Amino acid sequence: MTLTALFAILRKEFRVEFRSRSGFFAAGLFAVMAVFAISAASFNSKLPGNLASGLVWVSLLFGSVIAVPRRFLQEEELRTADLLRLSAHPNAVYWGKTLFAIAETIAYGTVVSVLFFLLTSAKLVDPGLYCLGVLGTSICMGSVISLCGAIASQSANRTALASAISLPLIVPIVFMGIACLRVSMGEGLIPGGWRSGYGLVGYGIASLAIGPYLFAAVWKR
Amino acid sequence: MEALKKLGILLFGLMVSAGIVLTFTAPNAKSFQNPELARIVFYHLPCAILSAILMTIAPYFGIRLLKTQKQIWDLRMTAAMELATLLGALTLITGIIFSKVQWGAWWNWDPRQSSYLMVMLMAMAFFAIRASLEGEKRSQYSSTYLMAMLLPIIFLIFIYPRLSVVQSLHPDVIKYGGFDREYTITLYTMFALIGGVVWWLYKLRVRVGLLEIEKDNPDAKLANRDHSATPRVVRPVPLSKPR
Repeated sequence: MTLTALFAILRKEFRVEFRSRSGFFAAGLFAVMAVFAISAASFNSKLPGNLASGLVWVSLLFGSVIAVPRRFLQEEELRTADLLRLSAHPNAVYWGKTLFAIAETIAYGTVVSVLFFLLTSAKLVDPGLYCLGVLGTSICMGSVISLCGAIASQSANRTALASAISLPLIVPIVFMGIACLRVSMGEGLIPGGWRSGYGLVGYGIASLAIGPYLFAAVWKR
Repeated sequence: MEALKKLGILLFGLMVSAGIVLTFTAPNAKSFQNPELARIVFYHLPCAILSAILMTIAPYFGIRLLKTQKQIWDLRMTAAMELATLLGALTLITGIIFSKVQWGAWWNWDPRQSSYLMVMLMAMAFFAIRASLEGEKRSQYSSTYLMAMLLPIIFLIFIYPRLSVVQSLHPDVIKYGGFDREYTITLYTMFALIGGVVWWLYKLRVRVGLLEIEKDNPDAKLANRDHSATPRVVRPVPLSKPR
């Protein structure tokens, strides 16, 4: 695998997204609707940190599950997957698509966070910890959901299956992610929050380290 | 040889029966709210431990499958996951009953209860993948998913319930000096007996799987033959096609 191939795949992903904007619209609409719903429900009342962190996380989770697996599902639907198999090394495909998924999730997390803090009464106590939480969540979800998308892309009911098999693998990320965001919103002890944040990033790195090997087994035919 | 085998089966059946009787005759444990009904622990704990062991062994079979592409590893992986799911379901059911009797509610959102439920969801996702794919892809993709499951399973079973920030209703028995001697002996006996039954079921499931493959494709007999196969079995060799 060369870096040129990796960046070519990454560039291709950005071009496809800018051309169709399917992920942008799907996840963006979900983010706006989710935050508006939370804002309407919590109108005139203060959102406690426990609840606010859970709500942000639910928005992040479902937006990512909608947008991220589409990268692989689209390749199969447009019948371009075989062409990609012929022209690129599996590692380049994995890293290109996963890096795009991470970038997409970070962008999505930023939009959700900005809207959330603008439209609700939730308070941010530790912005650094919050950013670490969103970054760690993005790395974890990007790598895990990409792999699940690749696994589900070959099945008949691929869209439903991709979400169904991604969600159980995300559970550990949910625990650590919510613990991290909760502390950043003023609930719980700061050191514990940072530990969860580092745990989240560590989990993401471990997933990225295993990912290429698992992906190679799925991608080749 | 046959007579010895039959005697072994009979002895094992007797041991299982004796083990079940032992779970009812063991003296009450003092540390429980309702000691008489806490005996379900004799079934709950071995099922939970064996399920966790099988869930961590199954990915190894997945790795072997991807390396060798032999269907025997797929059968072993599936058998391990099926039994792990069965034992996991038994753990959850017995846990729910224990929870109602000792803690007053069927479901407490206890970290161990919740994490085990999540592990069960993962196992179901594994079977969802197997149901939606066919042929070689089924074994290859499900084994990949199983390996991806390993990290969350280790986190949920071994790390998350032990985190200092997590407060569980599950008693840390070993930390507080363990059970009484009789209780411990009964627990170990049940662990060994349930383990024996699980091992027998596992072997049976793999054998049934092999027979299914051989029924569908007679030529697969030689390809799937494993070194551990019984030497007494005479396997038919496919004849070369007539020209």
